Amino acid sequence: MSEQKATILVVDDEEMVTSALRSFLQLEATYRVLTFTSPLEALDTTDSELIDLVIADFMMPEMDGITFLKAVREKRPEATRILLTGYADKENAIRAINEAGLYYYLEKPWDNDHLLVVVRNGIERAGLVKELQARAAELESAHEDLAGFRKRLMQALL
Amino acid sequence: MSDRDNGSLQQLMAGLAHELNTPLGAIRSNRDVLQRAIGRLQEILADETVDDAEIDQIRGLVKTLDEVIEIDQIAVDVISELVASARRLWHTDEAAKRRIDLHKVLDSTLLLLGHELKHRIEVVKEYGDLPEVECFPGQLNQVFMNLLLNASQAIAERGTITIRTRGSDGDAVVEIGDSGAGIAAGDLDRIFDVGFTTKQTKSGMGLGLGLCKEIIERQGGRIEVESVPGEGSTFRVVLPFGAENAAPR
Repeated sequence: MSEQKATILVVDDEEMVTSALRSFLQLEATYRVLTFTSPLEALDTTDSELIDLVIADFMMPEMDGITFLKAVREKRPEATRILLTGYADKENAIRAINEAGLYYYLEKPWDNDHLLVVVRNGIERAGLVKELQARAAELESAHEDLAGFRKRLMQALL
Repeated sequence: MSDRDNGSLQQLMAGLAHELNTPLGAIRSNRDVLQRAIGRLQEILADETVDDAEIDQIRGLVKTLDEVIEIDQIAVDVISELVASARRLWHTDEAAKRRIDLHKVLDSTLLLLGHELKHRIEVVKEYGDLPEVECFPGQLNQVFMNLLLNASQAIAERGTITIRTRGSDGDAVVEIGDSGAGIAAGDLDRIFDVGFTTKQTKSGMGLGLGLCKEIIERQGGRIEVESVPGEGSTFRVVLPFGAENAAPR
């Protein structure tokens, strides 16, 4: 999948953080970066937008990052999910990450080079997941064709 | 420095450190972005010819620089405000009486307790007309920090803390109410005893309500509590405006 088309969703209740991440990601790659300070609004966006990767803050007033990322998984299962955590909530976050099965967690303050590696790999992963989904769907459809054919064959013979 | 001063200082420092992390993280990232963007501009300008595609690139980079500077300004403002608040509350050794604006004290305390409060607790401020109060500010700051922290810890999940202030017959009245667990009737008489706690773990680093009461009474005031188990508690601090307060220990 080409990087040009990848869409990243960034959600943090602090605009300082979403803006800094957007500036960096747009400078270093040609990702489309959508930023939100409200997780509920961000969730609405996933209805209409295809998302390759999501970066969400852990502690947000409307909804915590884990709950948000779980909701994203329901709507966009192929999207790679990354949690951003502050120092004070690290322990709680790690416990929740293990439960939610996230791709990665990044600590604030983050390092941009590290972030870029994680994001690139995460987008590649989303691409592979999509490809896998497409192949699985093809296989499923072929399997159904085969089952139909077998049924017709049995009917014809018996 | 005594243990209890140290506990409050720890609270202040923990709050400050946590709250500084967000603006510092943004500035750190932005500084890196500036460096990278300037590198790009230098590359473009190195051969002294600039084509149309490069002009577009330059426009994009300038836009990025603009955004970065704007966000850095916001981050610097946030840091300045946090430092001013910490300084305002940092009077533990102050021996002299001063006239202080209790609303400023409450707001500074709220700012530094942001990490405890802002993600799950709605703070409702109902500030009334309140003249400045003449008092020894240092220990009083710690009392409000403790009352707000207790209120926050009384709320298990999400809830509301309501701060009401008013002037009444020469007294300043500050009420801090929470929608938390409330206090059992049997404990209500004992909560101001020094050393009394219902906390299972050593979650607080604070003074304890016993010492809060001592500080308030030394300033010529009083502290009261009303509580309904399951509905919440309200602590009321009443302080005289005037200069008749007793000296701190």
